[in-house]
Amino acid sequence: DTWAPAPNGTPRAKVFAVSAGKHAKFRCYVTGKPKPEIIWQKDGKVVAPGRRHLVYEDREGYFILKVLYCRPRDQGLYVCTASNTAGQTLSAVQLQVKEHRLRF
Amino acid sequence: EIPGAPGAPLDVQCLDANKDYVIVSWKQPAVDGGNPILGYFIDRCEVGTTHWTQCNETPVKFARFPVTGLIEGRSYIFRVRAVNRAGVSLPSRVSEAVAALDPADRARLRSHPSAPWTGQIIVTEEEPAEGVIPGPPTDLQVIEATKNYVVLSWKPPGQRGHEGIMYFVEKCIAGTEDWQRVNTEIPVKSPRFAVFDLSEGKSYCFRVRCCNSAGIGEPSEATEATVVDDKLDIPKPPGR
Repeated sequence: DTWAPAPNGTPRAKVFAVSAGKHAKFRCYVTGKPKPEIIWQKDGKVVAPGRRHLVYEDREGYFILKVLYCRPRDQGLYVCTASNTAGQTLSAVQLQVKEHRLRF
Repeated sequence: EIPGAPGAPLDVQCLDANKDYVIVSWKQPAVDGGNPILGYFIDRCEVGTTHWTQCNETPVKFARFPVTGLIEGRSYIFRVRAVNRAGVSLPSRVSEAVAALDPADRARLRSHPSAPWTGQIIVTEEEPAEGVIPGPPTDLQVIEATKNYVVLSWKPPGQRGHEGIMYFVEKCIAGTEDWQRVNTEIPVKSPRFAVFDLSEGKSYCFRVRCCNSAGIGEPSEATEATVVDDKLDIPKPPGR
């Protein structure tokens, strides 16, 4: 396993690597009552759902962030923050995007 | 069973429960055994034990009785016996279990909040599935219809590509093929939608399409024509 240091206060984040052009699926299981609100962030900025970013809850109750067609600039620290009236917690991972290089 | 004694009382219920008492009610037995009923005995049993305690020394006439002397937080079941000149009936069927708790404490216990916990995020690489447009949703139904709105519900498509799925709802005046998208801007995420702005007295059909990042799929089968008026009872689809 590879671990990367993470900025102020966030736990050390595990590193995952995907190839450029492929989808990266982030899967996080969350518990809590009342049902927590989930926010996905990348490098401290909220990830807004859009054409390349799908945010949903799957049928098994996992919270999913899917980054489609990964590019080098998708690299960074991804954080899933869950909060409800009783508190807040987060999990973090570091994403690396491997570029394909043709070798001769 | 004593000859001439009444039948067992029926339908024992707990009307009001708090930490100090539980009000138990029941219905009189179907048969009085030929002698008028003189009153009832109420018995209680703490859930988890098999020990029944008689709550009242003398029979009560009124078919409702506050049981006191309960231990706060414990759960109880109740049964009732009827009495006439010939003797005491068999006990009724037991009530549902009820806890000796104030309603606010019960609600708090039921909805006791717990702080969120998030597991390790797992990242997986996926092959882009180019052009996998989702199939049509199924089981589209009108579940509510009034003159102000119609509520539709449906099931997500069965096959692959259900992740990140959203929906477009379409309406059409019955008898025409002039389909119009209802939610033109924003696709809906849940398999349920309320359609407003329908003309009263007109008859509409509805259908729903799925969409994902790959595109918009084929429409579901259209609903039966629904007339927009005050009628609230929707005919149940067959097999339900």
